[in-house]
Amino acid sequence: MVIDLDKCVGCQACTLACKAENNVPHGSPEEQRLRREIYWNKVIAVTHGKYPQVNTQLIPMPCMHCDQAPCVTVCPAKATYRREDGIIVQDFRRCIGCKYCIVACPYGARSFNSKEQEEKEYHRQDLPPDRSVWGPWPFPNRTHGVVEKCTFCFHRIDQGMKEGKKIGEEVVPACVEDCPARARSFGDLDDTRSEVSRLLSSRGWIRLREELDTKCKVYYLLK
Amino acid sequence: MLAAFSLIGFVSFMVSYIEGHHVLGTNNVIPWGMPIIITIYLIGLSAGSLILSSLTYVFGKEEYRPISRIAVFLAIVLIFGAMVGIALDLGRPEKSWRLFMFFVLNNMRSMFAVNGILYGGYFIIGLVYLGFIFGEKSKWTKVMGIIAIFWAALVHMGTGAIFGFIAARPIFYSPIKPFEFLAAAMASGLALLIIAIVSIFKFVKREFDRNIIFSLGQLLFALIIVLLILVGVDKLTHLYSPHREPTIWLLTGPFSWIFWGLQVGCAYFLPILILIYSRYKKTIKGIMIASFFVVIGIFGERFALVIPGTAHPLPFYPGKIEGIWGAAGSFPLTPIETLMSLGIFGLMGLFFLLGLKNLELLPAYKSAEQTPLPEGKG
Repeated sequence: MVIDLDKCVGCQACTLACKAENNVPHGSPEEQRLRREIYWNKVIAVTHGKYPQVNTQLIPMPCMHCDQAPCVTVCPAKATYRREDGIIVQDFRRCIGCKYCIVACPYGARSFNSKEQEEKEYHRQDLPPDRSVWGPWPFPNRTHGVVEKCTFCFHRIDQGMKEGKKIGEEVVPACVEDCPARARSFGDLDDTRSEVSRLLSSRGWIRLREELDTKCKVYYLLK
Repeated sequence: MLAAFSLIGFVSFMVSYIEGHHVLGTNNVIPWGMPIIITIYLIGLSAGSLILSSLTYVFGKEEYRPISRIAVFLAIVLIFGAMVGIALDLGRPEKSWRLFMFFVLNNMRSMFAVNGILYGGYFIIGLVYLGFIFGEKSKWTKVMGIIAIFWAALVHMGTGAIFGFIAARPIFYSPIKPFEFLAAAMASGLALLIIAIVSIFKFVKREFDRNIIFSLGQLLFALIIVLLILVGVDKLTHLYSPHREPTIWLLTGPFSWIFWGLQVGCAYFLPILILIYSRYKKTIKGIMIASFFVVIGIFGERFALVIPGTAHPLPFYPGKIEGIWGAAGSFPLTPIETLMSLGIFGLMGLFFLLGLKNLELLPAYKSAEQTPLPEGKG
């Protein structure tokens, strides 16, 4: 995934799209204050300097899907693992809830589901957006006591691959699809002709926390 | 009363299990709370206690024989409490069997999975060891004792490695963490052993050799010095970049009172002062007070590692991160969590007292001051 920091306006549409797509519970203000709300995607604001010489950088942060993911290394139960296509997924059925991965993740991309979520409209499968075609996996009724994270909407990608659609153009994760500023692009980084490769060759880019050598796959195009 | 505590602890555990962990003080910033602090604390006490029991059976220091059985039994009870502690912390404790599917369903690169082997093996080794001691099979006891020492050292170094190998958390990340844990384990285990022995013998009104306690007090002093050096080295190296900022935060931030007050004050300075002062180091009371401070202080050390280590905000991007993502985590002590923690201690106290009552842990009565030595003693 490539995120253009020049285009991002910090509207949090990606956060909301993610919550709607993946049935991520909407927390209460109380939960947010206690830092218990589940976020698969977040947008942070980083400021430099003091008023009037101040610069604010808005950085949307999904899971970075590192090639050398610290969370995969530390998970004792193989609940979080790297798929062959490089997506790091979390298997709720295997997760024992030891929270070691939350400690190990340098990006704060993981959240612990600490309470049974009540059934609300946006949790129901039969209401739009209709998710029934994708089946119950990977998001069955949630259980508390496990760790959750961004999946790059792999259910969309798998479905798209099956139907022979082009990943990155016709099929993209929800946050990419819903970005009003088109700041996010998704595609195959190994494919030199893909849109993401073209973007990476056009501008200067950074990855977050390179010093930890996680080789993450979310690139940020600089302003 | 201890049974009541255990029951309350169990009830609060069921509440947290059914309701979810939102009843605890943990959150996404500080994912590990009281149960984990207590667990690593208890593992430390246990490993320390077991290592010290080997003084008799492996190194042949006969003067320590009266306390060795208690030490081994204490170690088993404590590791049991620690395992209960881990189970309380898991979000899905019914799936904890997955931790013990070594090499099949486990990711053996994870320190947790490795520690699963270590803890499980430790528990079994402890039981077998105690069995041999009761069976007075001195040759086997010695063999088991040697295995037990190494295993206990590994257990606690493994526990340290859980924290020391996490590159993302600067306060944890340190190659000497395992050794620091080992030193802390021996110091706290010894301190607890001293308290246990003195209070048990006082309670059953039995005479015991005061010199044992004095020499153990000197050992405690040496261990505290070692621990102080290791912690000092750890914090000093962390005062340099790139770990500087979180360490400064630890030393001066909202959790600094735990570090300075409990860890440095109770675990290092007060015991050292007491044990260095010749008038106190020759009294049972002085050594008891020093041990008591060490036991409290090492708990503070665990607290000052686990909670501030995760509470410090992660530097996602250079600059000041605004809002909740740049704020340090807070850790409120909730009633359920406190009751759960008391429950762990209650359960262990119960087992310990039951063991004292039903097993021959204390040296034989009056006429023989020590347990009769087996014929082919090693």
